[in-house]
Amino acid sequence: MAPRPGRYQPAREFHVVVLGAAQFVHNEWIESYDPTIEDSYRTQVNVDSRPVVLEILDTAGTEQFVAMRDLYMKTGQGFLLVFSITSASSLAELAGLRDEIIRIKDDEKVPIVICGNKADLEDQRSVPRTKGFSISQRWGVPYYESSARTKTNVDEVFVDLCRQMLRRDDASETYPEDSDRFDPYSYKYYKDKRKSRKSQNKDPHRPRCVVL
Amino acid sequence: MHDDQDYRSSLRVAPLAIQKTDLGSESESSQTADDASQASTNLYSTDHITPPSTPDGSEEDLDAQQTAARPVFHNFLRAFYPFHPNFAISDSTVTLPLNEGDVVLVHSIHTNGWADGTLLVSGARGWLPTNYCEAYDPEEMRNLLKALLNFWDLLRSTVTSDGDIFGNQEFMKGIIAGVRFLLERTNCLTREASTIQRNEILRRGRKSLLSELSSLVKTAKLLQEMLRSYLRADDNVNEIIDEMILKAFKIVVKGVRFLDVLEEERRLRAPPAVNVMATLAEETYVPPTPPVESTATFEDAHGQGQEAGSRSDDNSHLAEGAQTNASTNKRLSSVTHLPTLQDIDCRNPVPYAGIACRPNRVSERLNSSHDTFLSYLGSFIGRLHLQSQSRPELALAIKQSATSGSELFAVIDTVCRHNSSESESLDQARTAMFDHIRDLVYSARDILSAVDPDAEDIIMPQDNSRLLVAATGCVKAAGECVAKAKWVLERIGDFDFENEQTGLGISLEVFEKVSESRPRTPETSDALVSKTPEATPEVKRSSKRSSRHAPLDKPLPQIPGAAPQPENRNSAQISPPASRPQSMIIGEDVFSVASSVSSSKPSLPPLPRLRTSISLEESYSPMTDNSHDSEYHSSFRSDTTSSSAGSNSTYLSRDSESSLVSQAPTRASTPDSALAPKSQPSMSELSVDGSAGTSEEVDDVESKLLEKTFAHELMFNKEGHVTGGSLPALVERLTTHESTPDAVFVSAFYLTFRLFCSPSKLAAALIDRFEYVGDSIHMASPVRLRVYNVIKGWLESHWRDSTDREALPAIRHFAEFQLGSLLPSAGKRLVELADRVSSTDGSLVPRLVSSMGKTSTSTAQYVPADVPLPNPVVTRSQHNLLSSWKNGGASPCVLDFEPLEIARQLTLKQMNIFCSILPEELLGSQWMKKGGIDSPNVKAMSGLSTDVSNVVADTILQHSDVKKRAAVIKQWIKIAHQCLHLNNYDGLMAIICSLNSSIISRLRKTWEFVSPKRREMLQALQTIVEPSNNNKVLRARLQGHIPPCLPFLGMFLTDLTFVDIGNPATKQLPGAGHDEHGLTVVNFDKHTRTAKIIGELQRFQMPYRLTEVADLQEWLQSEIVRVKESEQGTSQITYYRKSLMLEPRENTLKTPVEAPSAQANHGQKADLFSWMTRDRGQQNHATVAI
Repeated sequence: MAPRPGRYQPAREFHVVVLGAAQFVHNEWIESYDPTIEDSYRTQVNVDSRPVVLEILDTAGTEQFVAMRDLYMKTGQGFLLVFSITSASSLAELAGLRDEIIRIKDDEKVPIVICGNKADLEDQRSVPRTKGFSISQRWGVPYYESSARTKTNVDEVFVDLCRQMLRRDDASETYPEDSDRFDPYSYKYYKDKRKSRKSQNKDPHRPRCVVL
Repeated sequence: MHDDQDYRSSLRVAPLAIQKTDLGSESESSQTADDASQASTNLYSTDHITPPSTPDGSEEDLDAQQTAARPVFHNFLRAFYPFHPNFAISDSTVTLPLNEGDVVLVHSIHTNGWADGTLLVSGARGWLPTNYCEAYDPEEMRNLLKALLNFWDLLRSTVTSDGDIFGNQEFMKGIIAGVRFLLERTNCLTREASTIQRNEILRRGRKSLLSELSSLVKTAKLLQEMLRSYLRADDNVNEIIDEMILKAFKIVVKGVRFLDVLEEERRLRAPPAVNVMATLAEETYVPPTPPVESTATFEDAHGQGQEAGSRSDDNSHLAEGAQTNASTNKRLSSVTHLPTLQDIDCRNPVPYAGIACRPNRVSERLNSSHDTFLSYLGSFIGRLHLQSQSRPELALAIKQSATSGSELFAVIDTVCRHNSSESESLDQARTAMFDHIRDLVYSARDILSAVDPDAEDIIMPQDNSRLLVAATGCVKAAGECVAKAKWVLERIGDFDFENEQTGLGISLEVFEKVSESRPRTPETSDALVSKTPEATPEVKRSSKRSSRHAPLDKPLPQIPGAAPQPENRNSAQISPPASRPQSMIIGEDVFSVASSVSSSKPSLPPLPRLRTSISLEESYSPMTDNSHDSEYHSSFRSDTTSSSAGSNSTYLSRDSESSLVSQAPTRASTPDSALAPKSQPSMSELSVDGSAGTSEEVDDVESKLLEKTFAHELMFNKEGHVTGGSLPALVERLTTHESTPDAVFVSAFYLTFRLFCSPSKLAAALIDRFEYVGDSIHMASPVRLRVYNVIKGWLESHWRDSTDREALPAIRHFAEFQLGSLLPSAGKRLVELADRVSSTDGSLVPRLVSSMGKTSTSTAQYVPADVPLPNPVVTRSQHNLLSSWKNGGASPCVLDFEPLEIARQLTLKQMNIFCSILPEELLGSQWMKKGGIDSPNVKAMSGLSTDVSNVVADTILQHSDVKKRAAVIKQWIKIAHQCLHLNNYDGLMAIICSLNSSIISRLRKTWEFVSPKRREMLQALQTIVEPSNNNKVLRARLQGHIPPCLPFLGMFLTDLTFVDIGNPATKQLPGAGHDEHGLTVVNFDKHTRTAKIIGELQRFQMPYRLTEVADLQEWLQSEIVRVKESEQGTSQITYYRKSLMLEPRENTLKTPVEAPSAQANHGQKADLFSWMTRDRGQQNHATVAI
């Protein structure tokens, strides 16, 4: 990954991982979509007038490669957890994914957005809005209902995620690094981990543990 | 393609500093042609950086529409106003001069309003102001325009090799279908169509369109031959391709012109077709200025020559046929189209009386006569936009306008007289209108009389503008006048004409009025005079009329012939019409109308005047008579002779002249063709061609057009691949007769058709294709054979009984009867296949493993079969370990074997599954649906991958000794390394994922025992499977990879998922549909992409040539089973716990102080992650209960 971004560096680059049972093709319905092109997953967005380059890793189609998830998750700094509002089971799967993300990133504050996709299929809805919001509250992450097909809330979802990542990124720079995390080869994600570790350590409101 | 062209720098205008190419000599000629008109026309010439302001100030709305509100990119624009930059046209100019009606293929539009476009008429490319243009996309032309775009893209594309494109005639189909669509839509598909029969200009337009098409087809075939015979000097090929583009342009230009003529005809025809004005009022509220289409009928920069030709052609027909006034009238009117005649007809007392019931209300009459007047003025104004028009046309148009004007005038007059008290303002308006009409007539007269005998027989543009002002004035005045009259009528109430006079008398009276306003009746004109305040208009009018009467007034040299002609006219009227073409007969009616109108008067003044101009025309025609086809000529000639019987000497001389015209070989050497470079055959050349040798080819093209086809329902991309189409169109593509079908297309179709149509629908479409192709004899048998082959291929290699069974009865029936009757053996074969297919599992003829990817990989590079298999690297002791394990002994460890051999056996195991993946398992994202039940092998593959990862984790974590763990890690790194050597990316991925997972990677102490060298190796391996940048590294490696190779299946699955979800199932095909949305067609692009990905996957379905070590396989399997059984789907969590137990977290020790505060917080959250916090707690706080 890029060297440690300076505070006012113009375009930051973030890796977003899209996970979930419901595919969320962010550039759905363009004239002719070729997913095999490298650029099809890179996009630049402006978040509060700050340019951000997003690299989106969407693992659609490979849900059955369970062991791969770890690799994907390591890559990401922000996560989009997508379910379909037409499928209650797809929502149920998110909890496991979130646990895994938090475990792998070792960070309970990792930027996450929950996204109830297929909002255009209101008549087939089987996940009530309130359910989504209650989970959102419980996890402390924002909840959006979106439709990739009608392009509703697609950008918003990514912008929200960017804000979270930017905030963390900014915050992490004010703290010195600590190096308690050992990672023998994934130096690429090394820094992220340290950052997350560090913020975890410094955040006074963060739950340390525990059930007694 | 355009290498040989002149490069022109943008000297003057080009808003961007881009060098634009031009079609070399082409542009020169067109510009020369333009020069002529330019001299006089360039009113709007300056050096523009921004486009010149929109020509007509009154058209602000147009302006807005053109520039501001243009979110849509229009591929074609049409100039509605001429644009001629002031400066002399030099080689360095890239600004395109536009003539009104020019159609431009737009490549890009700059934000400043200039567009980079190619002028179809000349092939010249340059910048042009978009505010002079409007989008051109008439429904009838849509397919042809689209085809041209495809054609342009295709011929200019460098992506595909020439051989691929031009090796067959597929690329021609779009154009042919486009022309067909145009003719079909306009009901002119066959020569016998009534529209064509009726209208000579249309007939010729159609013919020239077809001959252009046939010329293109011929060129295309030539090119194909050239490529086939490898006589390919590339220059030659490029030249031919350029020529083909130009020809395609010309086809479109002719199509445009054809449509223009047709529309004008329709427009003029529509109102009077109902004969009486009532409907006229409803149907045509003719706008003051006609749509551009009508204006453009004859003009085009390049077409000018041709048009001049055809126009003079008409006139020369005139000349030939114009023994009499009558035929003169007729020819002219047939130029301006029949409706006029019929319209005049209306004025004839007899038909009028016949339908006198309804339209006799004054208001009706007012409306209808106003409409008629406007329609004449409208078409007149429209024609004024031509750069040139012939005198006879002008004369006739003026005459018609004046006649209809006077009719309106008469109605107004009636209103005035009916209630004089209310009509004061009306009176004024009437007078104003009168003045305007008079102005118009005077202007026309002046222009017509100022004839220079040597000058071209066209009206100069400056005259046009004068006429334009006059005509526009008429429109305005008439509008006001009618409005006033309506207002008056509202007050005084509507009344019947019949009340005033009964029966025919009324209309006669009206007619009297008509003729009264015309010069003939002194008394009425007197009456008018007395009414008009100016007191002179009528006088002026009559003087004008008398000038018409008296040829003596004319300074024209041609007049001598005119004087004797009144008698001729009469004789013509008498002469039997039977010998004449239909149009002439109609023309005769006109004349008879005209004459009956005027017959009440002793002298027939106006017509001679017209005749004068015609004789002018005649003298002119020989020079430009170039676009006749012989057929037409001969028919006309015979006509000439038959009607010349009763003509006088003047007449005979003219006749001889005209026959000279038609027979003399001078045709070919027209000024136009002299200007035209060879690559741009002028119309005259073409038609000479056509009449000489290519009439069969034209017929051939015609018969092609008549064939039923769905080719217009196909969509192509720039490489010429099908991207969309209706089922019949796709089936047609599948069974094309001209070439063997494109292999990629066929395999994509077989693979994916179930996604867009049911098997029985496909069967029906194929059978339908078999049937309807029977109408086209020349291709019936190859196509039928192909239909048979497609069904055979389906049954043999692509049959899926579970879904396809429903199509079997139809296929069997087809085989037995339709096919069986024509090709008995083929029918028999199909029946056999149909029987076998329903009783066999699996395909009858195993399809090639990688039929789709075949082309991209050279088979020579596969490992040859005679290369000996490598010996397994298994030592005796390892064998012993395995056999003792099989006999119930302890299980060997992964460390006991050679990394290479484990990698090999793993690869074999994976490849076995990979090779058994069927293409249909990969369609429609079905491996993710219903638990992957329809994609067993895909599921097995991903399952195995996960299992391998788990085995890796398990074998590491099962050792409590750090060094042992490190040794296992090292072993797996080596195995992964060997996997890479074997090109087993799936195995590599599985191992790396596990080593890289948080479970293993967090084991810091363990990793400290792994040598830096191994760590580096791992890092190198890891970059290969790095998912960032859309698996960039992996994709690059797989690109063109030579099998044997086992790619990472997940990448294909992701790609397939995104193609499936990211591309809609259908597309809208603009133009071809039955509403404005176009036709909904299959998005074949999506399926092609799917097939391409699957084909790429299939390319790797090629087994490794390695020896299976049965014992080792067994052990691997047992390890997998063991891991599977112990984990039960929660492997990741279990392993993570194990990992934590082996090497507890270190960080928590650093912050024990914080622990208490955390306890209070977020109990709920902690609950959710109880397993985590528990683990943590367990290590750090003994107090935490598990």
